Amino acid sequence: MKRSTLVCILTDVHLWVPLGVLILGTTLLMTLR
Amino acid sequence: MSEISKGAPGRSTLSLHKLGVFCALSAAVWLGTAEAPTKLVNAGFSPFIISMGMVMGAFVARWTVPTLLKGTTFLFDDLRDKPHLIVWALIAGMLWAVGNTLTIFAVRNVGLAIAFPLWNTNSLVGLFWGWLLFKELRGSGVKEWSKVLGGACAIVGGATILAIATASHSDTPGKAAIGIMAAVGAGCMFGTMYIPYRKAYISGMNPLSFVTIFTFGELGTVFLLTAINTGGIAPVFAELHRARPMLFWPFLGGFCWVIGDLFQQYAAKYIGIGRGIPLSNTNQLWGLAWGALVFGEMSGISSTGKLMIFAGSGIMILGAAAISMANPGDSELVNWKFAMDRECDRYSLDTEQVEAVVAGDDPHAGKARQRRWWEIVIMCAAIGVFVWLALGTQAQKISINATWAIVLVLLTLVSLGIGGTLLWRRTRFS
Repeated sequence: MKRSTLVCILTDVHLWVPLGVLILGTTLLMTLR
Repeated sequence: MSEISKGAPGRSTLSLHKLGVFCALSAAVWLGTAEAPTKLVNAGFSPFIISMGMVMGAFVARWTVPTLLKGTTFLFDDLRDKPHLIVWALIAGMLWAVGNTLTIFAVRNVGLAIAFPLWNTNSLVGLFWGWLLFKELRGSGVKEWSKVLGGACAIVGGATILAIATASHSDTPGKAAIGIMAAVGAGCMFGTMYIPYRKAYISGMNPLSFVTIFTFGELGTVFLLTAINTGGIAPVFAELHRARPMLFWPFLGGFCWVIGDLFQQYAAKYIGIGRGIPLSNTNQLWGLAWGALVFGEMSGISSTGKLMIFAGSGIMILGAAAISMANPGDSELVNWKFAMDRECDRYSLDTEQVEAVVAGDDPHAGKARQRRWWEIVIMCAAIGVFVWLALGTQAQKISINATWAIVLVLLTLVSLGIGGTLLWRRTRFS
């Protein structure tokens, strides 16, 4: 994968919204155990 | 875009909206049917193992029918064209895995009546993300907004009534706050999972390619979560070994889930997540049909409960009908195109080609591709796993109504036939 594509991925809001929700959800799951 | 959406020469002229609606309704049928094996949760096995079995089944099933439809050459070509979407497909699988595990906690703590409506709000979460990130419903009038939002709310409302009515005689242990948090969390996970879905399809990715990567993210995360919850990798395999006599059923559920999810992906592609997800969430009606007609779950329900079930089902059907009639207008389609152009600009995609794929006219879809020898080996191995599990399956002590089971299986196959034929005639599974 090209470096420019990687930068596009890392600066894409479409990545950070689901990733943020995933982190929050995983944290919640680990807390509930 | 509206011009292209009329269909390529020699193909069906069915509108993409109608096609998407058919796909979403077929998804509901198959996703509802996939719930039937979960009845085995009460047969003394850990819900984590049942969930793991279903995900393993989905992973293996991916290499049966979908491989037959589009070979591995198509898959690799599609992934090579849009390698960045591998990240999103993996995240979607991970979101599903975490969301599904949260539902187990939710049902354990507050019961299905409270948990299900809470996580069923995922369609509203998806609708919000569709509006915010992909410009869905932007530019549409009050009438379209009312149909989609009203329909989605009606489906959530109907689901709430159904869940309360059907779970009225189940035991619900305490720890309500934890259960509610888990259910809300699951709703957010499932609703957010549709961001990668929509992103993939406005970038011209094929749903079969997306599902392939999705199952890797899903299986890896479920395995990790199950290992954490059962105390390590060795206990997971020990539990799977113990569950061997009934493992075929969750695998079969996983197979149904893959077909349902594929239809849901096509729905997300052709009518967006704002419309596609609420429609496919009517799967609860089919889950209810299996429960009531095949597993005899209506017998313990009072006449008030039965009335609530009819009312809830009716409201869900009305909601689905409202969304089905909310055809996106030209001004909304312009906004869909803006969202697509953003992806093309950002990731240097061929706009003309992506536009054709988004409109169901993938120029490469009808092209004959060389089939590889290993596709036969993979398909035989995948089918072999199902046959091997089926041969060692012991009958579970659950009474079923065989006549209704046959009727529902036939209806499920009819939905596959209709949905599959429409997709082939209109898009060649593009």
